[in-house]
Amino acid sequence: MSDALLTARALRKTYLSGDRRIEVLREVELVLAPGESVSIRGESGSGKSTLLNLLAGLDAPDAGEISWHGENALTAARRARFLGMVFQAFYLVPELDALGNVLLAARILGRPDAAARARAAQLLARVGLAERARHLPAQLSGGERQRVAVARALMNRPELLLADEPTGNLDEHTGDAVIELLLSLCAETKTALVLVTHNAAYAQKTGRQLFLHEGTLRDVQNSRFSVQGSP
Amino acid sequence: MPWYLYLALKQLFPSGRRFPFFTFISVLGVTLGVALLVVVSSVMGGFGYEIRQMIVGTEGEVQVKAQGIIEDYPELLKKITAVSGVAAATPVASGVLMVDYHGKPAYPAMRGIDLSTVENVAHLDRYVRAGSLDDLDDDSVILSSELAESLGVSLGDTIEVYSPLMIEKLKNDEVFLPRQVRVVGVLEIGHQQLDSSTVYCTLRLAQELYGLGAGVHGIDVSLQDGVNEDDAAARLNAVLPPDVRAFSWEDTFSDFLWVLQLEKNMIFFLLLFIVIVAAFSVTSSLLISVVRKTREIGLLGALGAGPRQVAACFCAQGLFIGALGTLCGLALGFVALAFRNDVVLWVARVTQRQDVLRRFYNFSELPSHVAPGDITRIIVLTIVISTLAGLLPAWRAARLKPVEALRSE
Repeated sequence: MSDALLTARALRKTYLSGDRRIEVLREVELVLAPGESVSIRGESGSGKSTLLNLLAGLDAPDAGEISWHGENALTAARRARFLGMVFQAFYLVPELDALGNVLLAARILGRPDAAARARAAQLLARVGLAERARHLPAQLSGGERQRVAVARALMNRPELLLADEPTGNLDEHTGDAVIELLLSLCAETKTALVLVTHNAAYAQKTGRQLFLHEGTLRDVQNSRFSVQGSP
Repeated sequence: MPWYLYLALKQLFPSGRRFPFFTFISVLGVTLGVALLVVVSSVMGGFGYEIRQMIVGTEGEVQVKAQGIIEDYPELLKKITAVSGVAAATPVASGVLMVDYHGKPAYPAMRGIDLSTVENVAHLDRYVRAGSLDDLDDDSVILSSELAESLGVSLGDTIEVYSPLMIEKLKNDEVFLPRQVRVVGVLEIGHQQLDSSTVYCTLRLAQELYGLGAGVHGIDVSLQDGVNEDDAAARLNAVLPPDVRAFSWEDTFSDFLWVLQLEKNMIFFLLLFIVIVAAFSVTSSLLISVVRKTREIGLLGALGAGPRQVAACFCAQGLFIGALGTLCGLALGFVALAFRNDVVLWVARVTQRQDVLRRFYNFSELPSHVAPGDITRIIVLTIVISTLAGLLPAWRAARLKPVEALRSE
């Protein structure tokens, strides 16, 4: 078994748009160590979310392979244990209150026991929403919803957290707070983080900054590569 | 509880929010269908049950009949009462009479009953509206209520009775005089056909009027509790002479009961379409829900839910709607049954058709009999149909790929 948490080799992904073939990813290579935090930046439509979906096992590459802890298969049950996801649009279940949304991750894993309840409450407290545990998503602000989503992503103690532009729908101040929370929680729990963002400042807060351009992933610090918007 | 059942419940009945309109409409549809099925099944069952009670209450569960006259009935009575499951037996003589009161004629059916044994088989005293069965003797009769009313007879009046034997005598130019009898009671069973034209008299008077001597036309048999009528009739037939046969009341009235059952089944089948239409409404609502919740379905996949679990979540919503609709429908149906007579009488009063109701339906009250089998059939069919209604939305939800669902607008 490999020591790497996640290894992606020669990933290719092509979409058909009418008669046109759009090669979104080509020869993407990524190795992620346990507890490491990585940011991925890139222009809109550069394939960041596509790459994240491949890394989450939600989509399959046309070529190349991904292994999670040395294994090439990520079943739904294993995904529930192995990784957590945070999205730009929060995706909270509107019928469940904040606590119910956080606990949903444990329910899907089949562990909605007292310990899970305690952890969900603890996570909500950690993201500053202890008082709002019984509030429905409609009663929460955007920042609060995203904090609930962060707590839900960490509920099952994942080894990897994938965050797809988590501040995209938030104002700057709230976005800063969410990113700080995300990074500190990942650091506390030694959870690896892949943060997809447009924001260079947020990207710099991660251990490694990558840039996706023309379907290829490059390390910003170790490359002379530079495009508009890159450092 | 598995998460998909929990989420299905939460989506139908979210905590801290108003009852969702789609849930309300879906449950209401099923409720109305079930309530109608309960009411109609119970009322139709009530007709059958009332008929059974009337027949059994006046003639016993099994009727023994001969091709001609049963001459030595005491011997036969001994044989019959010795058969296992038989509680009691009573001889009867039956036929048609002509009665006349102050020039008003009527042609009722006659039942000659043995006063010493009839109470062991038929509970006629329950139906006596005026007078008393105890006053009945060989010079008196008890009339059914509508017959007494149509003749204008009161208790203590004397009526003239003619039998077919007297008509025979007339044909042979013999002189005959009608039998004069007192009216000592009025009987009301509640069935228009029986109440309109029946004369009850003693067995001896019936034997005299029909020239039976010591013979009878048949023997009515009552059974011990829980004994099946058909089984008892079969056991009786094994010991009876070949020209004397025993028939369960269901055999005797088989044509009528078959028509009644056919009507009941047809109405049940037609009303079941209300539940099926309600199920289509459930399907439609859940399909809309799948479209509205596409990104949530994608999220569930991202959280590690399998397609089967996602499908189960939507299928379970159909099940829960069916179960709640069935529960509400049963409650509504039983309430409607409890007030059925008030409603029917109110409608009859408003339309001034009380008499038509009684004449047409044979009953003074709308009968009802809740058969556990019918209720079980309604519950099972409704819940199965509602669950099936969730299958198409469930299949659509299960087919959604998380990555595409999350990307949907």
